[in-house]
Amino acid sequence: MSSTHEHTEPGRLPSILTIASAVLGAAGLVIWLGASMSRGETYYFWGIWLIVAALAVYLWRYRLLNGGEALRELLRSSARKMAVPVMGVVTAIVLGGILMLATGYNPIEAYGALFFGGLVRNWHISILNAAPLIFTALSVAFAFKAGLFNIGAEGQYYMGAMAAAWLSIHFTLPGIISLPLIFIFAGLFGAMWTIIPALLKVRTGAHEVITTMMLAHTARYLSPVFIRANGGDPATSTHPYVTWEILPNNFLPRFQQFLPQANYRVHTGILIAIVVALLIHYILYYTSWGFEIRAVGENKDAARAQGISVGKNIFRALLIAGFLAGLAGFNQVNGLDHRLFENLQAGYGWNGISVALLAGGNPIGVVFTGLLWGVLDAGGQFMARTTQTPSAIVEIVKGTILFLVVARYIYTAIGNWRRKRQRHREADAANAVKEGA
Amino acid sequence: MAQPILETRHIVKQFPKVLANDDINLTLNQGEILCLLGENGAGKSTLMNVLYGLYKPTSGTIVLDGEEVEFSSPRDAIDRGLGMVHQHFMLVDTLTVTENIILGSEPGRGPQIDYRTARQQVKELSERHGLRIDPDAKIMNLSVGLQQRVEILKALYRQAKILILDEPTAVLTPQEVEEFFAVVRGLRDNGVSIIIITHKLEEVKAISDRVYILRRGRIEGERRTADVSKEDLANLMVGRAVVLTVEKSDHQAKQEPVFEIDDLRVLDDREVAVVDGLSLDVRPGEVVGIAGVDGNGQSELAEAIMGLRSVAGGSLKHLGEDIKDLTTKERIHRRISYVPADRHRYGLVLPFTVAENIAMGYHDRAPNASGGGMRLNYSAMEEQATRLIKDFDIRTPGPLAPASHLSGGNQQKVILAREFTRNPSFLLVSQPTRGLDVGAIEYIHSQILAMRDQDVGVLLISLELEEIFGLADRILVLYEGAIVKEFVASETDEREVGFYMTGGKKEQSA
Repeated sequence: MSSTHEHTEPGRLPSILTIASAVLGAAGLVIWLGASMSRGETYYFWGIWLIVAALAVYLWRYRLLNGGEALRELLRSSARKMAVPVMGVVTAIVLGGILMLATGYNPIEAYGALFFGGLVRNWHISILNAAPLIFTALSVAFAFKAGLFNIGAEGQYYMGAMAAAWLSIHFTLPGIISLPLIFIFAGLFGAMWTIIPALLKVRTGAHEVITTMMLAHTARYLSPVFIRANGGDPATSTHPYVTWEILPNNFLPRFQQFLPQANYRVHTGILIAIVVALLIHYILYYTSWGFEIRAVGENKDAARAQGISVGKNIFRALLIAGFLAGLAGFNQVNGLDHRLFENLQAGYGWNGISVALLAGGNPIGVVFTGLLWGVLDAGGQFMARTTQTPSAIVEIVKGTILFLVVARYIYTAIGNWRRKRQRHREADAANAVKEGA
Repeated sequence: MAQPILETRHIVKQFPKVLANDDINLTLNQGEILCLLGENGAGKSTLMNVLYGLYKPTSGTIVLDGEEVEFSSPRDAIDRGLGMVHQHFMLVDTLTVTENIILGSEPGRGPQIDYRTARQQVKELSERHGLRIDPDAKIMNLSVGLQQRVEILKALYRQAKILILDEPTAVLTPQEVEEFFAVVRGLRDNGVSIIIITHKLEEVKAISDRVYILRRGRIEGERRTADVSKEDLANLMVGRAVVLTVEKSDHQAKQEPVFEIDDLRVLDDREVAVVDGLSLDVRPGEVVGIAGVDGNGQSELAEAIMGLRSVAGGSLKHLGEDIKDLTTKERIHRRISYVPADRHRYGLVLPFTVAENIAMGYHDRAPNASGGGMRLNYSAMEEQATRLIKDFDIRTPGPLAPASHLSGGNQQKVILAREFTRNPSFLLVSQPTRGLDVGAIEYIHSQILAMRDQDVGVLLISLELEEIFGLADRILVLYEGAIVKEFVASETDEREVGFYMTGGKKEQSA
């Protein structure tokens, strides 16, 4: 670990740099996410510069601790990891462009509008889109790590949303107390919706894809009942398919409260989503819970032989997945809508599956792919409005990205399987050679 | 002198970091059985894959029937009369024997398959070569030995004159091995030339006419099988004198048993009692070997001891306490160690690193974790792994390499390192050397004996009698789920034990 750099003595400098990088990064992120083009474009770029600076400081620290060669290796390996997803996105965009040409639209104009709309002009809408997707995608990704496919995040999302709405209509406590409570209860209700699939999986081996999906529909169609009971009245024109508004003390803080330039709708749910993603990363890779869940996901027989309970970890993983999907409901009700709509079309749960797949099940990756999806959605709407290009094109581009990137995982899985034998042999051969040395 | 049918001239195959084949010259004669003997990683399979068109040689030529050939794919090799049976069969489980055999070269016109002709051809072929098989059976209903037959027929159906068999007996039971040998001899008598890739000395002696010994990518020697002893072959193979049985010192076992099994009854997945009325005890400082033909309850016994399968009756006592109702985790923490027979399925999480695999089982406690498991300590795991990599001579790029990147012998060493360093009082070892080369076997055997000398009670389950005789102080013969005979290892021989293993005199001895 010691540095070979001539003058630097690691001492306290690396810790200072760590803190500096974290502070710069957090500040940059908040400013960037909260920026609104229509009000203060300078903030938008300030945010980006701060994030770049944080990254630079981090890399400097890395070089200080591990030397220049390790830094180059880190950059190389990150580039390798990023290459396929980035290539997938670029290829999908090119293919979408060809499609636009073929159907008589101007791809340059359309993509210009798409990215201007998604990344700059309607950046706040991208953020609003991304937040719930990050939660549901984390849910799917977490279950992935245990070798489970939580296809019913949609249902857990609705359970969380209903819990959040009911509590937020009735809780009169100050926000600082009630919001954490609602946050937890929304998660718990989401988790509750995975208890039955988890029990069935552990006791009878019933496949979670079937059980979570069926319960997803149950929860979705429970929501109209809940809405009628809590203010929704189809007979009136003012409140047809929506609950009463929640109490203002239960609104999630908005960016505008500390960044005057921010769009008034943007709330801090995105920040919570990012913190939760970091937390999930920590749980998976730095706790024995995560260790066991990953071991069960990769090889449950070997895990069991080492005393790791397969049932307990499947149960745990599915419940945590449900909790995460429930948080998406909290995010929407307390952050954005301040009421629960009978909106059966949004499909945050279903889209979360795509976002999680695109990230390869990596919790940090989910933040990026969630943002990408949010940008494509917001930009697609902007593009359709300003250039009359149908937003269906964006759906095609999204589908193509997913196909190219996920198909790549399938391809590598097959490739790995084929190459495995050869790799074994090469490893053996290498050993044989080393024996000689 | 027989006619050479296949020759390689100065074959060199260079992989990015490894010279896998170095100037290989070998000759296969018409109608002979040739063995290619070598340790894991000696370059046998690479060479065969070069012959079969899977790899392109870096330099050198292949001469077939006196004509220089160049294969760019297995398809070319098949067209020129080469057939290969891989260690892992490439069959479609849900299709019939006939369908599998004709797959890829179906008779008939266009999209239509002429099943009648196909079935007839398969039947004729199997009768001609004495490879009896039901052409309409589904692959999934066939035993491994019969599946191998299908693979061989598949090659013959494509008019193979040369058959390459990669580790053909690795998956077979002893009886199937005998049948397999008969089949191979029959094929030779029908004029098929055969290359068998193997690392088993017995197999070379039993079946081949001639043998090439490969070591580190080079041909170390060529012998007529009849003129060479097993010891000579072993020496050529590993390049040093191997003691085929590890030196076993005398060691006095303690009296008080560390592990006792009484009247144990275990059901398999079909709810049939495959262990029934089994009793044994293991004392500290002795190796008790369980000899038996595969499928007599070995795996169920091991699983019951480790708590991976529930016990239907009887008792399991560790240090005098009944552990029947304890979880696997509790048993592990009572310092019961387990080396499972199937290391890929039960021993390792292959995508995990070596360090993680070594920590597994103790991953939630110090030094691997702190704060009740809330914080994993990766540097402690790595430190421990680095130490064990050195102690157990594990060949790996480092503690952070995934276990899947290691060779079989080194993977087994990772498991040994984990289990043997947890200070066990009782050690259950199942098939510890299956599929490993001589060097690794010797090392693992010496480690097991070292555990015995530290007064650990060792229960060894093995299908290989040589291993049992090499290690065990007492030998228990397992037949149909019960111990039918007990021997003191020094007072018996393989013939006597083998007699009881196959069910001889069960009544008389029980």
